[in-house]
Amino acid sequence: MVKRLLLFIIFIFPLSCIDPYNIGIEEGEQLLTVDGFITNDFGPHTIRLTRSDTYGSVFEGLIRPIRRATVSVRDSQGLVTFLTETEPGTYVTPNDFAAKLGLSYTLQIRLSEGQEYTSFPEKINPVAPIDSVSYRSLQLATDNRLEDRVGVQLVAHFKDPSDQSNFYYWRTNPGMFVVVANPELYTLPPTDPTNPRGPAPKDCCATCYLVENSRLQNFTVASDEEFNGLSTRVPITFIEDNGLRFKDTYRAEILQMGISQGAHRFLRLVNQQLNITGSVFDQPPANIRGNMVSLDNPDEVVLGYFIAASVANKSVYIKREDLEFTAIPRIIPDDCQIVPGATLTPPAGWNP
Amino acid sequence: MKKILLLSFLFTFFFNGWIIAQQRNVVGRDIGELKNLKISGRITDQITGEALVGATVTVREINKTEITNSNGTFNLVLDRAEYILEFRYVGYETVIYPMIAVGEGRINLTMIQEDFTLDDVVIFGRDPEQNIRSTDMGAISISMNTLKELPPFLGEVDIIRSVATLPGVSQVGEASSGLNVRGGGADQNLIMFAGAPVYNPSHLFGLFTAFNPDVVNDFTLYKAIIPARFGGRGSSILDIGPKSGSLTRWGGDIMAGTVSGKASVNGPIVKDYLSAQVSFRGSYINWLLNSLNNPDLRTSQANFNDVNAILYGEINENHNLTYSFYRSYDDFALASDTTISWTNQSQSIRYSGRFGEKANLDIIGFQTLYDFTIFNQSGINNFDLKSGITDTGLRVNFTYDIGVKNRISIGGDTKQLTIQPGELIPDAGSESGVLPQKVQNEYGRESGVYFQHEFELGEKFGFTYGVRYDYYQYLGPRTVREYAENLPINSGNVIGERTYGDGEVIQTYDGFGPRVSMRYSLDSKTSIKAGYNKMYQFIHLISNTATIAPTDVWKLSDQFIRPQIVDQYSLGIYKNFKGNIFETSVEVYYKDIQNVVEYKDGARLLLQNNLETEIIPGVGQAYGVEVYAKKNLGRTTGWVSYTYSRALRRVITPFEEEIINDGEWFPANFDKPHDFTMIGNYKISTLTSFSATFSYSTGRPVTFPEAKFDFAGNSLAYFRNRNLQRIPDFHRLDVSLNFKLQGKGKFFDGDWTFAIMNVYGRKNPFSIFFADQAGSPPQAYRLAILGVPLPTLSYSLKF
Repeated sequence: MVKRLLLFIIFIFPLSCIDPYNIGIEEGEQLLTVDGFITNDFGPHTIRLTRSDTYGSVFEGLIRPIRRATVSVRDSQGLVTFLTETEPGTYVTPNDFAAKLGLSYTLQIRLSEGQEYTSFPEKINPVAPIDSVSYRSLQLATDNRLEDRVGVQLVAHFKDPSDQSNFYYWRTNPGMFVVVANPELYTLPPTDPTNPRGPAPKDCCATCYLVENSRLQNFTVASDEEFNGLSTRVPITFIEDNGLRFKDTYRAEILQMGISQGAHRFLRLVNQQLNITGSVFDQPPANIRGNMVSLDNPDEVVLGYFIAASVANKSVYIKREDLEFTAIPRIIPDDCQIVPGATLTPPAGWNP
Repeated sequence: MKKILLLSFLFTFFFNGWIIAQQRNVVGRDIGELKNLKISGRITDQITGEALVGATVTVREINKTEITNSNGTFNLVLDRAEYILEFRYVGYETVIYPMIAVGEGRINLTMIQEDFTLDDVVIFGRDPEQNIRSTDMGAISISMNTLKELPPFLGEVDIIRSVATLPGVSQVGEASSGLNVRGGGADQNLIMFAGAPVYNPSHLFGLFTAFNPDVVNDFTLYKAIIPARFGGRGSSILDIGPKSGSLTRWGGDIMAGTVSGKASVNGPIVKDYLSAQVSFRGSYINWLLNSLNNPDLRTSQANFNDVNAILYGEINENHNLTYSFYRSYDDFALASDTTISWTNQSQSIRYSGRFGEKANLDIIGFQTLYDFTIFNQSGINNFDLKSGITDTGLRVNFTYDIGVKNRISIGGDTKQLTIQPGELIPDAGSESGVLPQKVQNEYGRESGVYFQHEFELGEKFGFTYGVRYDYYQYLGPRTVREYAENLPINSGNVIGERTYGDGEVIQTYDGFGPRVSMRYSLDSKTSIKAGYNKMYQFIHLISNTATIAPTDVWKLSDQFIRPQIVDQYSLGIYKNFKGNIFETSVEVYYKDIQNVVEYKDGARLLLQNNLETEIIPGVGQAYGVEVYAKKNLGRTTGWVSYTYSRALRRVITPFEEEIINDGEWFPANFDKPHDFTMIGNYKISTLTSFSATFSYSTGRPVTFPEAKFDFAGNSLAYFRNRNLQRIPDFHRLDVSLNFKLQGKGKFFDGDWTFAIMNVYGRKNPFSIFFADQAGSPPQAYRLAILGVPLPTLSYSLKF
């Protein structure tokens, strides 16, 4: 029947797009926010007290620390440990403080104006040790067709105990790496009176060490519903290759924490919010309830969560030669010590 | 002997035909008068029956012209002779009327509109006054011929999207397949193809409707007074009727569009007794995905297709059988490590019989399967996650006409439902570190019997009353938790478990659903109708997203999740103008919904064995006014609809932590108070038409953060009360130009459709969301699905 078929012509443009959108948001409330955790490891452990602010306000980046508060943790045996304020709004436990397995802890706060707050008790449950940390070299597509993201995914291997419900919270400690520079390529500055841009090789130094801190920190949470009693693997984080990190050796350290069911629920909601994409399949925004309450006014909303956890950690050294994908290295034609924070002596615990 | 009879019959037939063609109309009663014969006449529109005022009658022989008066009548005084009359009227075809005047007499003549012959530009079906005379309310039938004139979506006629242009029907956004009818959730609509329910009729996560328009004959949406033969869903029934193949000749068509192509063939397998219609539609959308900038989409692969086969057998003129097979398939490989795939498959067999002049019997047996699978191939802990639904059922409907406009329907239906809510299967090959998990299957049986009587009392009154009795059983095998009384239902308050055996009844719900409507006609073109109906729904869509997604879980009513009960009151006034060329209506409704499912903050729904711990029962309320005006025929056709409606929810429980928005009424996710649609089609010439669709609606509700706080290095939004703000209003204009190509050979007949969606490129936000992304401060973002004007061109070929 079909004798002839004539076909099609089409034009098409990229369809969907995401862009920043300006909306009027009412001025936000200034609610007490608690952020921090204590573990069964020796401290110092940090609790940060801040006030919330209007979302998207022009004073972005300005956090409002709460100063001169009295902050203490109290265990279920009645022992109270006071924290000291080291920076505005940052309160730390004494160096010799470590939470004890099996005890419950509450955080108690008294503001300088006199309002009092407390957390619900958080019990320290044991956590499985990390058997090993492995890594995979990954290449991910980006908005730019010509440039992929390259980096390393860290995977924690551990055996979940089968006789209990476990809730896991993973964070990474600040990464450390060898900064590779080329002092022999150093050239004089263009303003040099005698030999502008002339070669002037330096003898020192080709390798330094850097410990890096970043503002945005990923974290991962899981409950053992999916792997109770199994030896399992969980991808923890992705470290992007920025051209410097993986020129030689990179040390990553994973903290594996055992947390309460309430903390897990809280962190899961935080994670859900961090992963929102605006798509058809997003869950509607959830009210993230924490575990802090006001002792003066039960209706007052307190944000954040006081986490008490047991912790296990493990580090891994990532060598460049083991990576399948690497970014184009950034050349530093100078002494490596010009990189802010770089030192000649290896950081504590550096043992590749 | 027979041959001779036949020959003589044919001879007579042709001969008579020839004579008729030559014959003049004899006008008047011959009493032998020769002069001053008074001949009067009346001219009316052939379609509408309206008198044509100011039409001219010209008698060529005596060069005389008369004009019709306000009744459409004219008077002539002629002598006994042969004449040729010419009737003319602006916009109508001229009629040449040869006649012999033999006495005083009358001519009744009908004329037809010129553009009416251009093409079948008729929106209404058989009976133009159906909307006035019947007691139906909120029932809208549309034929595919109408839809084909409208601007297509990505080059295709889209049934679900077209339904969404009707008053009282809306969609959450541009890429969502769910319909919200009069404030009901997306799960409150029963979509049936050839009598079998279809659970997820969408391709590509809702970008396309999974019904190939070529196999659809027509569809009817019932949104107010739902006939008693339908039950099981709260808000609406969308009954899509398949097209059966021709019993006389083979034919088909082929179409190529932007992202998909389709072909269909139909014709007689046994001439006059058995026909087949087979259609296939497949996608080639990957090139489009690969051209996008979004890295997730660019590295994705998508495939979809759907297949239809319809066999139609005519046993004799009173009995027929239809078998329909429908299967739609989708897979979407997201960023190459997760593949999502879903399949709808439905089959039905229908017997339709007439017994004498008065009795009709319809029996439909159907089976529907819906399967959904996620394949995780990320390399770490690979797994497959499967879920599915099976429905098997039977429906019997018997109608008997007691008299003219006096009909009784009796019938019943039953269906067996099996839901497999989720099963996680670790990949055997890769030492998976995940546990196999399986959520218990659910079994239910839903049955109903009904009676309905429609009749008229004189010209003025029409009544329909009926009742449907629904009976539902939730069946074992199943292990059910028992929770402490007077405490919130959560995992912490479990006090025991009970195991039910195979087929054991766990919970039963039943109820009577009355359906009443009446019509009072003010005149033949105007009527007022009022109605009430009650619907029960025993299946719930468990979805925490604003729209239908393939990942959604369906859940049967159990002892914790009670059936949704919807009471709807409607009142409407209907008026047709200008001989039914214009149809208008205003309808008002109020709806009360019990046992709406709402979700706890951050509910976990996937692989959840105890969904009762994640959801909270709420109540709903919806009301609105729908204004609708439609032009049914002429060079310009189309409709305008405006709806003001609200869809509200309220959640009050004895437990403070479960109360949403302090127990106040709050807007549902799809509450869009103002909704305006204008659709027009203009015939430029016989072969060319232009059409446009404009739609406007209030932005849907969204939750804005009340504050920003820092936790673990991230800026987070603090949300308290749901849905109190709105995204910006939606408006969009689509246009299309359709050329019919008439080549010399018939195989070149085809349609070119050039369309532009979103002509002025408005970035209608699908959503507004808040995110803290590296490189920019925490802020609001807008996701626009169709952010630019999008031209498409498609070609379809008939043979």
